[in-house]
Amino acid sequence: MSATIADAAPVAKAIAAGELPGRVWLYSNYHCNLSCSYCLTESSPRSERRQLTAETMLTVAREAAALGFTGVGVTGGEPMLLPWLPDTVAAIADHLPVVVLTNGTLFVGERIERARPLACEGVAVQVSLDSHLSDVNDMARGPDNFAKVVDAVPRLIALGVRVRIATTVAGPLDDPALDPLRELVASLGVEPDDHLVRPIVRRGRADERGLGVTARARDIPSELTITADGAFWGSFGPTVRAGRLDTDLLLTRTVLPLSIPAQALLSVIRGLPAGHDAKLGIR
Amino acid sequence: MPRVELLNVTNAPLTVQTYFAQGDPGPIVAALANVPELLGSTLGFVGVALGDGAASTRHKEFAILRTSVLQGCRYCIHAHSAVSLDVGLSVDEIRALRGEGPVESAFSDDAEQALIRWIDAMAGATGPVPDDVWTAARETWPDHVLVELSVTIGATMFLNRFATGFELPTSSDVIARLEAVGLT
Repeated sequence: MSATIADAAPVAKAIAAGELPGRVWLYSNYHCNLSCSYCLTESSPRSERRQLTAETMLTVAREAAALGFTGVGVTGGEPMLLPWLPDTVAAIADHLPVVVLTNGTLFVGERIERARPLACEGVAVQVSLDSHLSDVNDMARGPDNFAKVVDAVPRLIALGVRVRIATTVAGPLDDPALDPLRELVASLGVEPDDHLVRPIVRRGRADERGLGVTARARDIPSELTITADGAFWGSFGPTVRAGRLDTDLLLTRTVLPLSIPAQALLSVIRGLPAGHDAKLGIR
Repeated sequence: MPRVELLNVTNAPLTVQTYFAQGDPGPIVAALANVPELLGSTLGFVGVALGDGAASTRHKEFAILRTSVLQGCRYCIHAHSAVSLDVGLSVDEIRALRGEGPVESAFSDDAEQALIRWIDAMAGATGPVPDDVWTAARETWPDHVLVELSVTIGATMFLNRFATGFELPTSSDVIARLEAVGLT
């Protein structure tokens, strides 16, 4: 069963009314070549993959468009560990604009060619970079991360890929100490509006290490988020702690037809007072 | 140890948090919460099937307890031995329904004996219910009551397999209560 016109009305109306964010997130996988200190999903090379198939991702994108959602995000884990991911992201963009999150370390040398399908209309690649100081950045994200990212970003742009930079910080979002990083990002060829600064959310590994801002469900943007384990409230929902998936923000185990988790999300949204996601800068 | 994670108020999905708001909702809800979209509709069905209806609560407990015995569900036998006490069944009647004493001596009423034989044929066998069992049951029990009790039996069989398959634990309160009357 796929989305119908009747299913579409509530979602489209809720998005138009500002009750529901327009983006649907897909956790393509949970494993990663890095093991960042604040990772929400405890991702690492040893993590269980919890992988979505390309077919599921495309079906979600197609049904999301039919329901009235306005964009797709792809995250992990490290999505670029999946060889088929760039082609799938390009195919998703046939339905909705898509942003794919990556640590940017897998475009070394000739491997930049893997990103070529991402150089198309409607696709943005969001690369993580947390400091203008390589040692500070690499302390959180792993050895040589800084060097690989500052090498990859200009080459991605040269390939025709739209690149955004995401900076995740433990301190204030408007800290002047971030100014050198903003200058670095600009020097790499990234537009200022494509540089996102956000707080560490205290879930997953960040919670175990006492990092970041504490957020209740209502403080987390209520973007419908699809994983191999079910559908969740927000991309900060399907976190992992001590090897176990957090279920507190689980909406449904059913992910398709997408109207089922979308309806569950709408029912929760309408039962909750407004939260502080804007004030906390969680995005 | 249960064979499924029993969720609690801290990790219950937000769509089913209301079931945990008043304290521990019990292992069936805690297990079902792993699939939150099933919880409301499943409990709705089970609640109607096992709750008040045209059949008396006494006779509903006949169906639930006897079915649970025939299906060998420890959790449901314990839970509904306690419920049977609540609705006024005697210890001897509960023992008889549990197969620990003769039905004929615990239940002097022919109609109740016929009903128990019908429940046994519905819940403890395969194939059609024998004609003589139907005939005896119909002498007292109208169709709508038998239809309702058949739904009670079916819902109980689901719960029996759910509780037995996942090895759900009986609460210590229930065990203590049954021990006090020699029913564990």
